[in-house]
Amino acid sequence: MSIELKLSRSNRIYRPSEPLEGKIITNFPSSINHQGIRLTATGTVNLQVRGGAAGAIESFYGVVKPISIMNRKVEVRSSGKLGSGATEIPFSMTLKQRGQDNSEPFYETFHGANISIQYLITVDINRGYLHKSLSATMEFIIESEKCNLLEAPLSPEMVSFYITQDTQKHPLLPELRSGGFRVKGKISTYCSLLDSITGELTVEASSVPIRSIDIHLNRMESVLVGEMVITETSIIQTTQIADGDVCRNMTLPIYIIPPRLLTCPTVLADPFSIEFEVSIVVTFWSELSKLHPNSDPKIPRLWLAMETISLTFVRTECDW
Amino acid sequence: MVLVLALGDLHIPHRAPDLPAKFKSMLVPGKIQHIICTGNLCIKEVHDYLKSLCPDMHIARGEYDEDSRYPETKTLTIGQFKLGLCHGHQVIPWGDLDSLAMLQRQLDVDILVTGHTHQFKAYKHEGGVVINPGSATGAYSSITYDANPSFVLMDIDGLRVVVYVYELIDGEVKVDKIDFKKTATASH
Amino acid sequence: MEFKTRDYDAEEASHSLPRLQTDFHPLVVQSPLEQVDIPLPKKVDLYDPLRASDADFAVSVAEGKDVEYVSIRGSSNETVLQLSAKEWASFKRSLMQKFSVAKTISISSMSDVIVKSGKEHEKPPTRIHLEELDDPQKDAEAGVKIITRQEYVSRLHELKDEICRAWQAEDRVTALKLSIKVARLLMDTSVLQFYPTVFVLVTDVLDMLGDMVWERIKRRAEYADDGTMICSLPDDFKASDVSFDAKETCNNWFCKIGSIRELLPRIYLELAIFCCWRFLHDRPWENLKRLVMMMRGLADPLASAYCHLYLARCSQKLPPHDIGYLITCINAVKVRIILGRESMNGNSSEDRKMSVSLFEPAIGWIIKCLLKDTDQMRLGDVLVKLGLRANETNSSVESPCISIVLHHLLKELPSEVVSSNALEFMQLIECSKDYSFDQYLNYMLLGLKLCERIPLMEAVDAILVKIFQVVAQYDGLNEYLKVVDAYLDIILHYKVGDYLTIILDGISDRACNKGVAESELDSLQSIFIKLLSHFDNLNDVLALNHFVEILDVMYGSSRNIVNMHILNKATRSGYIRDPTTMQLLFQVSQALHDGIYFSSIKDDDSQQPLHLISRFVQMVDFGAEMEHHLTFLVECRGAFGSTNELKETLVHSSNYLAVKAMKDAKKHDSFLKSCIAFSEVTIPSISVTIRQMNLYLEAAEVALLGGLVSHTDGLIDSAISCLQSLEVTNGSRTPVDLDGIISSVRKLCSLLIMIPGNPECGATYIPRNVLSIISSQSWITRRLKIRTFCAVISLSTTLSQHKLPYHANSREIVGNDLLFFYEPSYYQELLSFSSSVVQNLLDEVKQEPNQAARGSLALEACNCIISSFKANQEIVPICSKLIEIANSCLHTNNRYLHSTVNYLEKYFITSTTEVPAVTT
Repeated sequence: MSIELKLSRSNRIYRPSEPLEGKIITNFPSSINHQGIRLTATGTVNLQVRGGAAGAIESFYGVVKPISIMNRKVEVRSSGKLGSGATEIPFSMTLKQRGQDNSEPFYETFHGANISIQYLITVDINRGYLHKSLSATMEFIIESEKCNLLEAPLSPEMVSFYITQDTQKHPLLPELRSGGFRVKGKISTYCSLLDSITGELTVEASSVPIRSIDIHLNRMESVLVGEMVITETSIIQTTQIADGDVCRNMTLPIYIIPPRLLTCPTVLADPFSIEFEVSIVVTFWSELSKLHPNSDPKIPRLWLAMETISLTFVRTECDW
Repeated sequence: MVLVLALGDLHIPHRAPDLPAKFKSMLVPGKIQHIICTGNLCIKEVHDYLKSLCPDMHIARGEYDEDSRYPETKTLTIGQFKLGLCHGHQVIPWGDLDSLAMLQRQLDVDILVTGHTHQFKAYKHEGGVVINPGSATGAYSSITYDANPSFVLMDIDGLRVVVYVYELIDGEVKVDKIDFKKTATASH
Repeated sequence: MEFKTRDYDAEEASHSLPRLQTDFHPLVVQSPLEQVDIPLPKKVDLYDPLRASDADFAVSVAEGKDVEYVSIRGSSNETVLQLSAKEWASFKRSLMQKFSVAKTISISSMSDVIVKSGKEHEKPPTRIHLEELDDPQKDAEAGVKIITRQEYVSRLHELKDEICRAWQAEDRVTALKLSIKVARLLMDTSVLQFYPTVFVLVTDVLDMLGDMVWERIKRRAEYADDGTMICSLPDDFKASDVSFDAKETCNNWFCKIGSIRELLPRIYLELAIFCCWRFLHDRPWENLKRLVMMMRGLADPLASAYCHLYLARCSQKLPPHDIGYLITCINAVKVRIILGRESMNGNSSEDRKMSVSLFEPAIGWIIKCLLKDTDQMRLGDVLVKLGLRANETNSSVESPCISIVLHHLLKELPSEVVSSNALEFMQLIECSKDYSFDQYLNYMLLGLKLCERIPLMEAVDAILVKIFQVVAQYDGLNEYLKVVDAYLDIILHYKVGDYLTIILDGISDRACNKGVAESELDSLQSIFIKLLSHFDNLNDVLALNHFVEILDVMYGSSRNIVNMHILNKATRSGYIRDPTTMQLLFQVSQALHDGIYFSSIKDDDSQQPLHLISRFVQMVDFGAEMEHHLTFLVECRGAFGSTNELKETLVHSSNYLAVKAMKDAKKHDSFLKSCIAFSEVTIPSISVTIRQMNLYLEAAEVALLGGLVSHTDGLIDSAISCLQSLEVTNGSRTPVDLDGIISSVRKLCSLLIMIPGNPECGATYIPRNVLSIISSQSWITRRLKIRTFCAVISLSTTLSQHKLPYHANSREIVGNDLLFFYEPSYYQELLSFSSSVVQNLLDEVKQEPNQAARGSLALEACNCIISSFKANQEIVPICSKLIEIANSCLHTNNRYLHSTVNYLEKYFITSTTEVPAVTT
């Protein structure tokens, strides 16, 4: 005895205005009676706050009330009989109802550390009180509306940056302070999720040999809890662009592919927000660094110089 | 039409420094389809030279051949003819028609080519044809030191063979022709 | 019994085929143009300096050129791919061989994938967590571990298998993770000499992964989830032909690889699956430019060079495209060498050379890829971009040229291009004098390239003037020889000026006082061989200034090789008659002979020089001075007496000398006797008995031709006694071929026909003797015994004739037919001897156990008997018995049986009508 859902698209990606289509596949050894087959599609933002880097106090720990984006129920069959063997029941349901601009927009599916935006479809076969009802659930993925998408490629919006001993808010190695260093570059800050984050970087001078230049892609998930905004920052990807003491005055490309499952378009909603930034971290050769082999890369150190630039992710048309 | 060069008893360099220049200028690569050689070349360079004229070469062993891997006798089929090859120093007495006929029966061939006597000969008997191309360098033989350099070219065409005899006499190449057909008795 | 009577003259007359003179024949020379004199093949397996096995780079020039310039534009993509794959495979092999490595390698703990503790090893690969992979902070210097080279290699092979297994188990994540670990091994460049090997092993793994990913995506594009075929992608498919699903899968792979933290493995992995960009873009190579840029972030010069190398390789798998980025690659590697030079100032030049040698293959390969598709038009552009040629707009050369880049450029450029720009290259070489490559080697390579395509005369003049200015400055012999050798072909080609004199003077100045180092001998050898093969006549070479003098300072195998070439040259152009040349060649031969004798050269290697010495001895001709010739032979026996081949040659030569003397008609018996005596004395020292026997027979023939009966008898005795001492197996060597021995015995029988019998010993003395010796030999087989019986029967029949088929070519020797003319006892002896042999023959045939052999031996015996005896009541039953045996042993279709039976029938008819000549 089985029941399963099969969506029309293997990647299960749908846009809010598109009908969610698929079929219910049942397989019974003998025919059964039922009191209706119902489909339920839900969309929810789940928020939670954990103690962590933000140093939130204990009482914040817990689940914040979820936000419902949608909840639609459709009866695909009224009560009747399902024959033995395999039966396929096709369905099609609209997700976004016209004219109904109820509450929340259809955020893109996202699974983060504190924030999760999830869309589910459930089928229920009610068999009365005597029998257990049969059901199956499946996640489907919502991506932004096509008409809202920007055409790729985006106009390159580059932000220039300089990293010198003077731009650092934290103490540096004495040799670095006195000898100095200068790294300059630019990076795109308005990026397509499907495209790479591009830019370039040049080491103009450095009195201490460079060990590595890495670019951290940070994600900030903020949740409004009462009057407070609790932000959790996590490094979702680190990309090395220089390994060793690279040539001076040679332009190095920045090329970062956003990790698919860990990113979504930047969201700035009232109760929560999902934002991104990049940190450019220059690591210098230092004997001291060996004492902290596994330190948190976000913590400023004597042998690190960094610059952080915020990014906006948007969804664009797929260009292939 | 198939051209078969038959030669032997060069005895290079023991009894002659090289092939006569007049022969060499006639023997150019590409004309000849098979070479059958009755042996006593004697060194590898001669073998290589002949091979350069025509890669399909068959050799029977003479008693002074450097390469002892050549067989005592050899048979091959060209067109409608079966040919046998033997140096001939083993034949008693040398060049004797009866003894050669005996060898021919044993090898079961239409044309038997042998050497050793350094004298061109071509016989026909009930069992077929026996040819001795002579010595290509005119080397001294067991019997004489007055041998004219000679070799033979057989033009095999169907059941007909034209044997061209090339003989160097007083510095001039003289060419003779012998014509024969495979008769019913000799045929297979 | 009764011998058959023969009339040889009549038989010959009746059976000879008629000869007709003809002017037309297949070899008729049609036009004088065709009259080409074909010399004996020039090359006689002589040592060829260009094929020397040492890893001299000149070798790679010669070897590489077969495949390098194959035009690939017209051929299909598939064959191009196969060709480049093959080239790459051989390149990798050479890479692994080139850098010899100590047996153990110290590796940093970064390469933990190689060094696994036992516990870790047990862990199934699927459970290796991502965290483990992303642990970049591990300090490279923390723990250095020692591992053997073999362990390293086999561990990598294991990893390759693991990846393969994971892939087959649909566990692609593990396969990828392991591949990343493998790629990470290339971050550790401290292994230095081992790095190229690591590179080969790692890229093998990555290539495998790349192929698997390619196949998977292709499959996704061609087949639906349920396995039905959607479409078939042509070789030259476009991105638009690829389904959305396949594209998405492909994109996923690039995303996964993009998430690798470290730069080097990320680049390697992207390169491994680089071809897959084709599923997404029609111009995938545009991404290569980005990768080349990304490689700027690799500060380690070695890692960077090999990374560029891998890029060059991977780009070959793409459809033809603009490969300008390869120039950037070369410049990038070049910059690092320049920077390396600065930072390595303190290091020894030895270290710097080593590091350059590690870079070299990468540079070589990239340049090869670059030039493969670069046509002439664009070459100038390439030169400008590589900083080799000044730009039109910017007259100064942008970055200094590095000699090693120049070297590979020269090596890979088609010779016609080098040839037509020879002076420019000459200038470039002059300008580039840095530690990365020895300048003289570039001059040398230029020379070698020019020899492949010799420039026009005008250019050659300028080139040679320049090069001789350069080499004049060289103090060292080695540099001098290498460069001069490279240009020698050009000089010889145009036969220009006094350069040969200058060269030989130059060598003489540099060599004759200080001596020649072993490394210099090769070049010297090459120069000498070129000179020897250039001149038609040996005397022209010998006449060159200092030639003999320089030859004298050479030693060892090079000296031997040059000596061999000299002998080869000398013996290819007819008789050697000039006494000075003869003297020199004698010395050369002696040096060669002593060289073999005193060194433990293997038998096979000594064949060629010994053979050449023999050739020399054979080609010497004293004309009418035959006594001198014989003296020369005696000298040769003294000088080269230790070799068999030569002694055989000496015997042949003295025999020939005797025949020549006879032909001269001024026949002096004493000279003949001296020749025969020389042979007789020389033959016993030849180690192979059968050869002794054949040479005795030849000497006997010659003695007979000269009318020296007693000498002939003695030589025949010696020949027969050889049979007694025959060793059938020379120790463990291949057995002496018995057929050859019996053939020689039969030859002896035929020779005996001409030899006057000794009335005291009886007519059958010698055949009896031969028979008894043969029968008593341990090696004799029944077949050979039967053949010997047949031989003496044939001999007896022939001797019994009133007129022998042939006679000795001398009036002094009387044949047996005259000697025993109608001498009844003589015939009687022959007949009784023969009939006893016939009886033995029959017995032996009957005893042969092998059926097929028995059948054919019966036929052989029968044929012999038929042709020797008249058919009578004694003979007919014997023949019938033999035929009966043959019938019972052989197939009824046996053609030998049929022809024998036919012959027998005719024989019975004809014999019975004839009058018996001799009665018993």
